[in-house]
Amino acid sequence: MSRNAHPDAMAPSKPGRTRTAPPQLPDQFPFGGRYLAYTLFDLTGILYLLLGFLVLCAVWSLGSGEAAWNGVLERNRSMLYVGFHAIALVGVIFVGIRFFGFFPKAQPPRIGPVKPPPKPVILAMLYALWIGVTAFLSIVLAGGIF
Amino acid sequence: MSDGQQKKTFVVTRFDPDRDEAPRKQSYEIPVQPDWKVLDALNFIKDEVDGTLSYRWSCRMAVCGSCGMMVNGEPRLTCKEALSQYGDTVDVGPLANFPVVRDLVIEADGFMEKLTSVKPWIIRAKERAVEEGPMRQSPAEHEEFKQFSLCINCMLCYSACPVVANEPEFLGPAAIAVGHRYSIDSRDEGAAERNEVFRGEGGVFSCSFANECSEVCPKNVDPAAAVNQAKFNAVIDWATGLVLPRGGDE
Repeated sequence: MSRNAHPDAMAPSKPGRTRTAPPQLPDQFPFGGRYLAYTLFDLTGILYLLLGFLVLCAVWSLGSGEAAWNGVLERNRSMLYVGFHAIALVGVIFVGIRFFGFFPKAQPPRIGPVKPPPKPVILAMLYALWIGVTAFLSIVLAGGIF
Repeated sequence: MSDGQQKKTFVVTRFDPDRDEAPRKQSYEIPVQPDWKVLDALNFIKDEVDGTLSYRWSCRMAVCGSCGMMVNGEPRLTCKEALSQYGDTVDVGPLANFPVVRDLVIEADGFMEKLTSVKPWIIRAKERAVEEGPMRQSPAEHEEFKQFSLCINCMLCYSACPVVANEPEFLGPAAIAVGHRYSIDSRDEGAAERNEVFRGEGGVFSCSFANECSEVCPKNVDPAAAVNQAKFNAVIDWATGLVLPRGGDE
């Protein structure tokens, strides 16, 4: 046992008559063994925060004139920016795969008379949707449609 | 006891509330048999080496849920874990995330309060008269909640859950799974009452879907599935309540 958990974790509302030792965190939490994937999953939130900030900066520059917008385009070509997006891409794929893995079992047994499809079908639909949206956006960004 | 018999060292967490400031470790080297479970080794220590060692156990067949402990850092039912899968040294401690009463015994009253708060029993708007006969349930209706009814309240899921460790109000995996089991039971009419609890502070939306509860569950209950299904039902119930006032469908 290593570090203490929250001192009131799983404590009864009224303390018992016997003095108790404080609750301990699992040894492996947060970066060891089974907890690593969960912690990394949560840490990807930092990537989304930064990405959101960059998008806001880009939108702001749109209203600040052509020079500002050209500055954004120039910044997008820097290796630092490309590297950050490569890491963000890995993060998004990791989150997607983990989320898709959990998604089927989070479905209710039925909604009224309708039952959700089997797990493999749900997974296939999720991946098809993901690949479809990615392909569509890629074509749009490449100037293939608009 | 022959010299050729295999021995293992057990590093056991000890805590005497009358004497110890904090939990400490104590080692026991004992002879073991190939077919032993971890609980058998603890019983040997208790019976032959140190009678002061305290821990809970009862059925020895993974049904009562009493003997949950941390074995080499993982929440496990000690009566179910074969000793042969571990090395020469086995670390045994009380379940993580729980206050410790003594040695390997954790304070379970907090869990019992959470479990009771989700009303884990069948609620009927009007009691059924005996003359009306038993309530019928089809195999398909039973199948919907059967998995969640297998929970033995061993609390291993609480020991693995990172939210339980940091948010004392959280109802936790087992309590929500058992509450959800009753809410989706075709004989039950108390889902709305439980959804109030599920939507409240420390309810289902505190769950961050770490899935660790399901990873360690010894009965394959999959509490993470129950919690996230309960989230869906709680939202539907809330949204329905905006359109249909309570009792409007009667």
